Amino acid sequence: MSRSQKITIWGLVWFSIITLSLPTLVVLGASLTAGNMVAFPPQGLSLQWYEKIALARDLQQAFLRSLIVAAICTAVAIPVGTLAGLALSRFRLRFTTAIQVYLLLPFTIPLIGSGIGLMLVFGQWHVLGSLWPVGIACAVINLPFIIWSVSSSAVLLDPDLELAAQSCGAGRVQTFFHVTLPAVMPGVITGSLLMFILAMNEFLVSLLLVDARIVTLPVLIYNSIRSIITPDLAAVSVVFIVIALAVIWLLDRLVGLEIFLKSK
Amino acid sequence: MSEPGPKQDFRYPLHWRLMDGVERLADIVWPRSMARHTGWLFIAPALLLVGLLVLGLVQIADSSLRVLDTATFLPSEDWSLTNYEKALGTKVYLTVAWRSVSAAALTTVLTLILAFAYAYALVRVRKAWIRKALLITLFLPFFIGQVVRAYGWLIILGNSGMVNEALGLIGVAPMRLLFNYGAVIFGLVQYMLPFAVLLLVPALTAIPEETETAAGSLGASWPRIFWHVLLPMAKPGLIGAGLVVFTLTLTDFAVPAMLGGGSQDFIANAIYDQFFRTADQGLGAALALMLVAAGSILVGLVFMVFGAGTLAMGGRK
Repeated sequence: MSRSQKITIWGLVWFSIITLSLPTLVVLGASLTAGNMVAFPPQGLSLQWYEKIALARDLQQAFLRSLIVAAICTAVAIPVGTLAGLALSRFRLRFTTAIQVYLLLPFTIPLIGSGIGLMLVFGQWHVLGSLWPVGIACAVINLPFIIWSVSSSAVLLDPDLELAAQSCGAGRVQTFFHVTLPAVMPGVITGSLLMFILAMNEFLVSLLLVDARIVTLPVLIYNSIRSIITPDLAAVSVVFIVIALAVIWLLDRLVGLEIFLKSK
Repeated sequence: MSEPGPKQDFRYPLHWRLMDGVERLADIVWPRSMARHTGWLFIAPALLLVGLLVLGLVQIADSSLRVLDTATFLPSEDWSLTNYEKALGTKVYLTVAWRSVSAAALTTVLTLILAFAYAYALVRVRKAWIRKALLITLFLPFFIGQVVRAYGWLIILGNSGMVNEALGLIGVAPMRLLFNYGAVIFGLVQYMLPFAVLLLVPALTAIPEETETAAGSLGASWPRIFWHVLLPMAKPGLIGAGLVVFTLTLTDFAVPAMLGGGSQDFIANAIYDQFFRTADQGLGAALALMLVAAGSILVGLVFMVFGAGTLAMGGRK
């Protein structure tokens, strides 16, 4: 690389690094303040806000609801997304293009459209007011992520391996669980972690599908933001930062972050 | 004269017998003659799940055709196109639509510039730890969610936020950094950056470093290599990333709501307000359907002209 190229590229990269990290760092810092308001320069360190949120029932319950929503979303998405990813990459289907366009609908339909549509559908079925429709909705809107992960693992599997297993006497179910599934496991793990974290953070669709009794944590934070910024919300936000870090660590341990650097 | 055969009480291990049972069950539920259709069996749940969205669209279309009766506050029984006329004829919505489109275009350009540099560094950097650090920096905000990130910006840019307090220390009067167009664009670029980088990286990985070296050894300067080699070769990734960033920005809700403070509404905010503030569901549904149509036409056109790029699912090699 020439000097001017290095300066241009890394200048832009550093700008990105700072804008990407600044909100996270500031939220972390604000949560540790000893004062009653978020102020700069900080007024000393304390853990008082963590103590306060640990005792707040509404926050705990909202957090629990977000976990439930994320768990339902992941539980639905793993089988559905894995099978669809396999179908698209390992089977000859007719109308593949049409199916692809159809399965990309969750991305091409704007979230506000999907959210309102699902709100009307669930409303007509009289199931609004419980958490599982929110989980299902999160699974629907993020489904392409897990299909992508699985199918990009699946194209790497040599079809001869499955034939070899079958000619050694393995039945179809056995071949699936002992050859096909282990081969796409990196994709399944990546996809399910993505589904979990995206459902945990999902805001707009949650906002449309929950009522005051079952708000999830992102909606609760959104509703609590007033013109004066108090540090308790910062402490709650740190919960999200910790979860995000945990998911990144898991992703790196189980499949390696470099999986996202593969060429397509 | 007995042969040394297996003993009478010999049994296969439990999981073998279980597996045989499962195989037999599979043969009954899905006989081998159906094997041709196994692909359809696998994809059916996904088709059904996404079908919920189609049902949703049908519902939106239905309510968009019903006019709100202001006397009873109930939607009308018969269908009419009044809501669409109202949506197209109201000047506020044109302003909002124009603001969303221009913001989406601006955000896309800015995001792609930053994302290209980031993805390029990520692909070409030699040291493994730098690559890992860049990846973590990218994933952390991606996994934290929009609300928390916007909250961080509120702390930094607010009227009594960090920047203004810091400026106050050196005697500069507080400035209004939030609740304007610039703040919304800034928040959107930061929000879209991880998406764009992750969609660009596969395209850049596919470009061998030797092509750049070759161009360089033939005397091309790096801006020329960038323009004539990298950019054309990265086109599928740029199209995919640009399309995703544009459509996500166009339809975003949280950033304009939180960093725009009600003065910078996008289409999604207008739709939300129709449903939950004004309670004119029909008009909101008409606006939502028009947004869906605009987005789909855009995606369809790009796919038709350029192909699905890096957005294709499960493409065979």
